[in-house]
Amino acid sequence: MRLNDALLGAILLGFAGWIWWLTSFFPSFPGQDYGPNLFPRILATGIGLCALVLVLRGVRNRAPLLVVEGWVVQPRRVISFLLIPLAALAYILVSDPLGFIPTAFLLLLGLSLWFQARPLVALPVAAGMTFLVHWFFAGLMRVPLPRGVLDSVL
Amino acid sequence: MDPLLQAFGLVFDPFVLAVIGLSAVFGMFVGAMPGLTATMATALLVPVTFFMPPVPALGAIVTATTMAIFAGDIPGAMLRMPGTPASAAYADESYAMTQKGQLNLCMGANLVFSVGGGLIGVAVLIGFAPMLAEVAINFSSYEYFWLACLGLTCAVFMSNADPVKGFLSLFFGLLLATVGIDPAAGFPRFTFDDVNLMGGVNFIATMIGMFAVSELMRGAVTVDLVTRAVPQAVGSLFRGLGDVTRRYWWNFLRGSFIGTAIGALPGAGADIAAWISYAVSKRFSKQPEKFGTGEVEGIVDATSANNSALGSAWIPALVFGIPGDSITAIVIGVLYMKGMNPGPTVFQENPQLIYSVFLIFILANIIMLPLGWAAIKSARQILRVPRNLLLPVILLFCLVGSFAMTNSLYGVVLMLAMGILGWIMEEHGIPIAPLILGLVLGEMLEQTFVQSMIKADGAFLEFFSRPIAGSLGVFTLLIWLVMLGRGFRRAPVPAAA
Repeated sequence: MRLNDALLGAILLGFAGWIWWLTSFFPSFPGQDYGPNLFPRILATGIGLCALVLVLRGVRNRAPLLVVEGWVVQPRRVISFLLIPLAALAYILVSDPLGFIPTAFLLLLGLSLWFQARPLVALPVAAGMTFLVHWFFAGLMRVPLPRGVLDSVL
Repeated sequence: MDPLLQAFGLVFDPFVLAVIGLSAVFGMFVGAMPGLTATMATALLVPVTFFMPPVPALGAIVTATTMAIFAGDIPGAMLRMPGTPASAAYADESYAMTQKGQLNLCMGANLVFSVGGGLIGVAVLIGFAPMLAEVAINFSSYEYFWLACLGLTCAVFMSNADPVKGFLSLFFGLLLATVGIDPAAGFPRFTFDDVNLMGGVNFIATMIGMFAVSELMRGAVTVDLVTRAVPQAVGSLFRGLGDVTRRYWWNFLRGSFIGTAIGALPGAGADIAAWISYAVSKRFSKQPEKFGTGEVEGIVDATSANNSALGSAWIPALVFGIPGDSITAIVIGVLYMKGMNPGPTVFQENPQLIYSVFLIFILANIIMLPLGWAAIKSARQILRVPRNLLLPVILLFCLVGSFAMTNSLYGVVLMLAMGILGWIMEEHGIPIAPLILGLVLGEMLEQTFVQSMIKADGAFLEFFSRPIAGSLGVFTLLIWLVMLGRGFRRAPVPAAA
């Protein structure tokens, strides 16, 4: 999925403007000529210049506004693609209340079944990897992985 | 006690050796799997080594990357799919050799010349880094400012991408580095009143997102595609190598030195070293018409080059704190986390740690010979690991790894955002490496810039007043001019090309 250079440039131009606008709220200190807004403003200018080149180039080339690859029309592939960020999002939302072990297990199992792994293989792999990761990070390295519903058991 | 002896004691410790052994196997596996890169291996290793002392933590990274860069050659020759981008330059050539029935010779040459190139890179690292450190001890903010500029410019200049998009990525990385408490005035910038953002953008979570999650998103689309049958390497890998060495020893040396030089340049790493040395090999070959038809000549050059670049990339990283490639960018992050800020003073204060890194590099290249042999022999089994199980497991590692870096869900949120951003960037031909370098070097660049501006009282010419700073500055400006010229000439090329 690829936006036309002109469109991408326009978005970035807006972004650079927004950054500049944000820096205008930074305080300046008397007697100090180079305050906290100097460096971000230089960068915003840089991004703005690059964006301008992209816009000019895009307008000259007259490429289509949006180019998509073939897999975008195959629903199964689109879902596979979306599942990776969605799985991460699900982890962010439910790992705390549910706990690491159930979340990780369900995540591994669900994804590998969707990717057409055989249940007989996917189940032990999901269970084994969940416990391995939990043992290493929570047990050995003392990372405070959320306990969730298993709080009383662990 | 002599620092060298101390280093021996630090490295030849059962725990450290065990870490090195495990990382070697991990690196071989990740390198051999197409779609999993050496940078990704490093990013995933950092959370695991987070609580270890510096020597095993650095040892794990050194060993895993050394193995991964070699192992990337294996699927290149067997499936025509490079295992890591560093093997992409000669994957076609290797595959052509396999089709001619020369898989054994191809793999043997890859293994032996990878080890040889790696050792040359390390030798240069050992020879030059302490020498440079002695020069660098006198550097002021002007020199560091220009070095950082030069490093960042190289990252854009050396990547094959469009310079405009390279600079975009770089500026964006530098901007990300400004998030958090401003180093000079202590004012929180771009934090949107979020406590997590006050501490800045976590670097490792960003790396995991950019290099692993975006890769998983790409991989998920093609997970159901059937892989081709893997040919097996039967018989001796080393037969005929004596002959190859006698004929192409010059290619080996040339590849290794080109690789070392490119690796030492800030911002350019093993993949670019392989492309350039392959092109040089073809240019100066007596029979350039045979390139691409399965000739070992170009492979000798390129496979030596990518491994030699690994070691020399540590020179600017250790001496100046400026990463030689995206792997050493992570290393610099790790060094800061371990409280040993890279720079010339490390060589005086902690020489035993520097020597330990050297020793581990040598050790890693030596154990690569037997381990690489085993990996080649069991390639069929390695490449048969089903991707539909592997992808979810890697995702879990990413989630836990970025959680562990911040001990909160902030790391995971950041990882997800950066993963999506990384994917969008790659789709638009915007390279990721400049962003990563910008994020690492941003604070140093801003600090040295503001310091120098205050010292010079706004007179920009002062930036050129010291001899080394002046030459670095002129050199950087020259590269900018060349790029400007290139950008103008490139502009009319249609986007589809």
